[in-house]
Amino acid sequence: MPPPFHLLSSTCYLPAMILHQLWHRAFLDKRPSLSLGLFRLAVAFTVGAHMMPSFFHMDDNYLATAFKTHNDSFFPIWLLRLVAQSPDALVWSFVVLFLASLTAFALGLFSQLSCILMTLSCYYFYALNNYHIGTLSFDILLVTLFLMCVTNYHGDFLSLDSLRRGDIRCYKRLRPIFIQRLLQLQLAWTFWYTALSKVTARGNWLTDNPYYYLMHYPPIGVVRDFPLRSWLGQHPALCYNLGILLLIFEFAVPFLWFLPQTRAISIFLGIAFQVMLWVTLHVPTIFLFLFPPMMLLFIHPTVLVRWIESRQARHATGGRGVLFYDGQCGFCLESVKRLRVLDLFGWVDPLDFHAQPDLSTLHPGLTPERCHSEMVLLEPDGRLSGGFDAFARFCWRLPLLWWCAPFVCLPGARWVGRRLYRWVAEHRYFLHRNPMCTTNQCAIREAGNGSPSTSLGGPS
Amino acid sequence: MILRRNTLITIFVILWSLVFQYETLRANYLSPMAGRELPKLRFLFPPAGWIMFFNVDKSYGFAEVLGLRDGQPFKLDPHDILETRAVGYDNIHRNVLVGVLSRGDARSFCRFLQRKFPSYDEFLIVAAQYPDLIETPDRVLRQVAYRCQ
Repeated sequence: MPPPFHLLSSTCYLPAMILHQLWHRAFLDKRPSLSLGLFRLAVAFTVGAHMMPSFFHMDDNYLATAFKTHNDSFFPIWLLRLVAQSPDALVWSFVVLFLASLTAFALGLFSQLSCILMTLSCYYFYALNNYHIGTLSFDILLVTLFLMCVTNYHGDFLSLDSLRRGDIRCYKRLRPIFIQRLLQLQLAWTFWYTALSKVTARGNWLTDNPYYYLMHYPPIGVVRDFPLRSWLGQHPALCYNLGILLLIFEFAVPFLWFLPQTRAISIFLGIAFQVMLWVTLHVPTIFLFLFPPMMLLFIHPTVLVRWIESRQARHATGGRGVLFYDGQCGFCLESVKRLRVLDLFGWVDPLDFHAQPDLSTLHPGLTPERCHSEMVLLEPDGRLSGGFDAFARFCWRLPLLWWCAPFVCLPGARWVGRRLYRWVAEHRYFLHRNPMCTTNQCAIREAGNGSPSTSLGGPS
Repeated sequence: MILRRNTLITIFVILWSLVFQYETLRANYLSPMAGRELPKLRFLFPPAGWIMFFNVDKSYGFAEVLGLRDGQPFKLDPHDILETRAVGYDNIHRNVLVGVLSRGDARSFCRFLQRKFPSYDEFLIVAAQYPDLIETPDRVLRQVAYRCQ
């Protein structure tokens, strides 16, 4: 006897609801996009490390004199013919385009556009000659690049885009999770199908002893000369069991990444596995540079946000530095806004010195005249520095400026930096990009709107 | 607006997943099932899915290039032939030179060799193989694949 209608509809409705919720959670929910911002750096490094060496021998690889082979299963013939007609000048133009777009992508400047241009350049060189760059790992990288091109989410964090926007909460900007999830799935499926192809189709990891054979490869072969190699080569049974263990790992680890209870250990094992591959085999380093960061994408973004906020809280309780700036200068207000984006862990509190009636109570070296002539940084331990020296301190204190730290230590950097800073400080009223702001009244209004902090409080 | 965005994302995710699975399974599973070579999607995905080290047997094939000067053969170091150095690994060890054995690329490779090594009169491109790395690890079979004159 069929069930009553209302029961039937509810039994259909419940699974549909569950499916809808699961789908939402898997792809549509909004989560902080900072993981993609970090992953962008890994992708840029991987692309650069794979492509750039081939540019050091242009005559061997891409120009008219090069030995070229073509991947006609990947590209249609008409495109290969078209690209093959490239004059050398066009090839050089693509080198410039690649380097410019790679740099912009790494810095997160117009990150989606730069990602698309960089990917197109990669395709161009792949079509021109696949002999050096065309590997299975490069195909994997192109799949990743395709996904990165779909959105601009990777430009939300750790990028010049976020700096341009002055978004001090960029690390917790919410975006649909689907790109991060598809990248996770790409990695998981790649591992899983790699294992499957070893035991089905023409794979021989169950029926034969591939690991043992690898240990006997000739010196010019793919296996590196690592310490245990010759010993392993004398133990075929151990090699077979290692091969089976490898298979089990490759089959299991994609599931373990998705389970919160096993996530941390499986990410660690996955990274260790990639390092082991690199130590023992001459495999393209795309695997080493790309897969571990992809594994880190399994870490829930809110974990990273919580970690950042815990660092901010620690600075809030342990004491922050105070930056005294000229709140009546539009250029200074803009700079402070960007500084707050760079100050990920909330180490410094910007303070308009005009709003502080008695500066000398904070530090005897603080005077309105000094604060008017340069920005002044007062650190929690009482250390006072101004102008370029304050900037140099920021380079050591703010993680997003660490990359500048070696440059400010270069011989002569302080001499040049101080003079450059002095020039900027003296012309700061002319540097504000608002041409109507000749009297700086608009700067005061902006300050009134509350962009940067005007009191000794924590970041909002 | 949100509904439209979610619909677009859903469509993209479904299409992407279908294409991803199709290209992963096409070469080794779907084509044999269909009894014919199914079409490959151009511009994305490797030709045969994710097949890293899926089949390793006890033989090993590679290529050698010999330069002939006054009739005398000299074996060329593959690192001198392909000077591009990859970051963190050696492309020569990855057996990249074996690609030059293809007769279709012979003319281009000969031109390349003649430009790089003008001091040689001719070149021999040799296909070499260890037939059994376990039983006879020192036995190498060699055959001239083609000659550059």
